[in-house]
Amino acid sequence: MIRALTYLVVGWVLIAVGGGLADVFMITVMLPATSVVLLTHIAFSRTMPLPMGLALAVSFGYLEDLHQGAPVGVLTLAFALAFLALSWAAERIAVSGWPTRMLTAFFSVVLVDLLTAGILVALADPLGLRREAMWVALWDARWHCIATALVAPPIWTLFERLFSLLKIEEPRTPDGPSPLGARR
Amino acid sequence: MAVSLRSIQNATIVVVLLAIPVVLLRNTAENPHELSAFDRSVRRIGAPLEAAVSYSTSTMGSFFERWLMQARLQDSNEQLASENRELAQRLRELAELAEENTQLRRALQMRDRTPADMIPAERVGVDQSPFFRVLNIRIDRGSRFAKPGMAVLSPDGVVGRVDKVFDDYSDVMLVTDARSKIAVEVARSRAQGILHGDSEYGCIVDVPKDYEVEPGELIQTSGVDELFPKGHPIGRVVDVEQLVGDQQRLHVKPEIRFDRVDVMWVVLAGAPRPDTAEPPVGPQAMGLQPVR
Repeated sequence: MIRALTYLVVGWVLIAVGGGLADVFMITVMLPATSVVLLTHIAFSRTMPLPMGLALAVSFGYLEDLHQGAPVGVLTLAFALAFLALSWAAERIAVSGWPTRMLTAFFSVVLVDLLTAGILVALADPLGLRREAMWVALWDARWHCIATALVAPPIWTLFERLFSLLKIEEPRTPDGPSPLGARR
Repeated sequence: MAVSLRSIQNATIVVVLLAIPVVLLRNTAENPHELSAFDRSVRRIGAPLEAAVSYSTSTMGSFFERWLMQARLQDSNEQLASENRELAQRLRELAELAEENTQLRRALQMRDRTPADMIPAERVGVDQSPFFRVLNIRIDRGSRFAKPGMAVLSPDGVVGRVDKVFDDYSDVMLVTDARSKIAVEVARSRAQGILHGDSEYGCIVDVPKDYEVEPGELIQTSGVDELFPKGHPIGRVVDVEQLVGDQQRLHVKPEIRFDRVDVMWVVLAGAPRPDTAEPPVGPQAMGLQPVR
């Protein structure tokens, strides 16, 4: 529980810091999605049961919705679905070392952006959006993906250190608890 | 296939959690421009956090901005100071060149005015008193050209006479030297006399009382001694002292500052033409006569 709370609080702070720094330093490039990195970390560290991880994914998605001014629920749903996919992948792929972390974060954010675009395109009419604008935004999202991949290793290390400091680090072994809660 | 209770619980929770965004989306689709009470509550809770982060980052940003600006200013200041030093040095060099140019021009003009044969000489050393008054000047002309007693002139006035001659250089006895004697005249009245060195500050010359002399009058060479060309300025009368008898003593202050003389002319007048079959070399090729 403490681990989940730590994810939530620090994740929220990171979301706020990203926006704040961009505002102060007048950064006009696409900002990284720190919450997607956290989502990847939660999924691939495999130290949390699936419902808890999914609850965190929904929370991060909801917070991102509020911060980005997106229609509430879009990123929430995208994050939830992406987390399920990442958890499924985590059952089959082990992530270690910063190049793999970067790559995983990159594909995670690609997945989130694709899901977001898909939801927005599907709900374009009720939400009053133009579909053509979605495709342009989706192409621009490549910078978003690269930025997220670049910040993935430091954020990953930050959380490992943080959990080690708070003494809530759990051993990551192949025999650890399955995110889906299934028996092996 | 056995399904555990825990798996059923987890699946239920997952379905409920997935239903939340669907419900949220449904509400948003119904009313896209309004936040729900829950949304507003979350924003209210997060507002202090965002404000704190924003304040911290802006404070940090302004600190780094100021620090960077100061570092840039310091770099710029050091660069400008360095440039300033270089420019000041160049300015000094240019001023020296301008002064040297002026002296050389005046020396050339004097050369054109003076009919005597002369050879240029450059100062290579000075003997000074403990109070930095010049007592003696050394020029870069040795025994090949100079001879003791030869006159040494500068564009501003008479410097003195060649005293000791060495292989590569010569010492010049200044007009202020007590041993110095030069035939002079008062420029206005032509009253003639012999100028003696008196002290480091000046000279004296005795002339008949028949001539009225006022302080400030110019004293120049008379040419009687056949060493100094006639009409070259020496100095100005600073005091007139009436002596017992029919003489009056004029105290003369030299026109030139001996510590600022760089280029001089050695007068070769009276030196015989060399009787040699060999073609002249060096200054002889320019029509100058070496002294024997």
